[in-house]
Amino acid sequence: MNKRKSFYSLEKEAKEIRSQALKMIINATASHVASSFSIVELLVYLYEKVLKINPLKPLDPNRDRFILSKGWGISALYSVLQRRGFFKKELLDEYCNDGSKMIGIATKNGIPGIEATTGSMGHGLPIGVGMAKALKLQKKKSRVFVIISDGECDEGSTWEAILIAGHHKLDNLVVIIDYNKWQSFGRVKDVLNLEPLVAKWKAFNWEVQEINGHNFKEISKAFNFILRRKGKPQVVIAHTTKGKGLSAIEDKNQWHYQTPRAYEIEVAHKEGLL
Amino acid sequence: MKAIFIDTLRQMMREHTDMIVITADMGFSVHEDIQKEFPKRFINTGVTEQASMSIAAGFALSGYKVFFYAQAAFASMRCYEQIRLDVAYNNVDVKIIGSNAGFALNQMGISHFSLEDIGIMRLLPTMTIFSPGDPIEMEWALKQSYKVKGPVYLRYSKLGDEAIHKNSRDFKIGQPICLNRGSDGALFASGGILHMAKNIIHQLKQDNIHIALYSVPTIKPCKIKIILSEAKKTGNIFTLEEHSVLGALGTIVAETIAESRIKTNFVRFGVPDLFTSITGSIDYLLKYNGLSAKKITSRISKIVKR
Repeated sequence: MNKRKSFYSLEKEAKEIRSQALKMIINATASHVASSFSIVELLVYLYEKVLKINPLKPLDPNRDRFILSKGWGISALYSVLQRRGFFKKELLDEYCNDGSKMIGIATKNGIPGIEATTGSMGHGLPIGVGMAKALKLQKKKSRVFVIISDGECDEGSTWEAILIAGHHKLDNLVVIIDYNKWQSFGRVKDVLNLEPLVAKWKAFNWEVQEINGHNFKEISKAFNFILRRKGKPQVVIAHTTKGKGLSAIEDKNQWHYQTPRAYEIEVAHKEGLL
Repeated sequence: MKAIFIDTLRQMMREHTDMIVITADMGFSVHEDIQKEFPKRFINTGVTEQASMSIAAGFALSGYKVFFYAQAAFASMRCYEQIRLDVAYNNVDVKIIGSNAGFALNQMGISHFSLEDIGIMRLLPTMTIFSPGDPIEMEWALKQSYKVKGPVYLRYSKLGDEAIHKNSRDFKIGQPICLNRGSDGALFASGGILHMAKNIIHQLKQDNIHIALYSVPTIKPCKIKIILSEAKKTGNIFTLEEHSVLGALGTIVAETIAESRIKTNFVRFGVPDLFTSITGSIDYLLKYNGLSAKKITSRISKIVKR
């Protein structure tokens, strides 16, 4: 693990990650800027403080596994991976270019640090369950971390996996829900309400924490708790804001799809992202 | 087929410590001994085919060779997208065993019939597909499934309990196996319905029609050279399978012939492109779909004599 960084420096890093992801998305006229922005603090904290990983040995059998089940948040993950030294900065410039492996949804195609191909909803968690169970069988102490979206909590396969992980007491499995309250076509509560979400996970035999997913103090507290716990799989319900960090796109669902244009770019300049 | 499957799988579990068996709550009277002998490497994930297939991929990505068992209809169709994305795309060692394929669960109707499974599996680029025709082919295919790198789909029905081969010494992946030579035509059969093909050949012989018989236990890859040379030599090619005429052996042979310059007669014997909404014995359901030795014999005879 890295040396301890103050929350201030983590916040600074989060801003730089947003800036990097925004540049990639604008350059490629790509989508999913808001989905990437809602998980930045979670990714930064995981990669700086929690995950036992070695960027020089991305396939080390003893590594912790991280799966971005909401694979469309990839521009943030690429930026974090690059910063941690998994690959060269030039690769980021290839994002969504012709012939590039830097695809707009997490794809296991040889890019170091990408553990699973996701994007089809409800895949990342059950893959993580398989990995966690395999690690137990191999008597390894590594953990599996999976970030899922709130929209993915609609999928049957997600709940199948939640039931299985609870039954098998996979205490080396940690799920973080990016609960930004938006899914593809509208507000979660209007499309398919997930509440009471804490009670649902508890009923499936998971240990649940609820945090503000942009607050490093709360994130840090949650993971410190998790790393000491045994006997149950762990879920962190992270309340987030879609598009967090750029006021022009915050909490507006259209930025799941659209590329920031003149006005948003102007605001991004004012807010120090560009 | 079931007996040899159980014995072989258990023997393989003893030999290979990197083998895992996952079942989505299926295999009553199949897996009990394996569960007892290997409590850690046998996992019943419950009735969760979709998550189970992704879990199988998670195990395989962690270095295990996973044998996933369920009835063919559910092992293939219920979790097809998981097979495509998590298993086939990653080219990992998940070996999907689809039992009770075809009309095996004859009394249970459409939900339990599996007549499309090979067709959809064949569309996946990394997939190897086995459809063994007798217990010898089954043992061979199961052992090959472990050896082949990447995903496998192995399906079997309730037909094919009678041993047709003496041994598997000359079997090769992708190679149709010649069981009978003949100069008037060639019949390619896949799966347990092979015994019906054998009857057909025998009956035609009484009528002085000599048809070559090939068993095709590997549907993918499938070496087409022998199909072409038989087409060229005899001008009469037939296929027989307990699967829709669309997508599996019949389609492979059709494609092969269509892309060659060879002129030949060609008939696919399989389940027509229709749902079967009745019940009955397996034999009855096959007959209902035009698959009886008598009917096929007379059809082949007419074509050859034409």
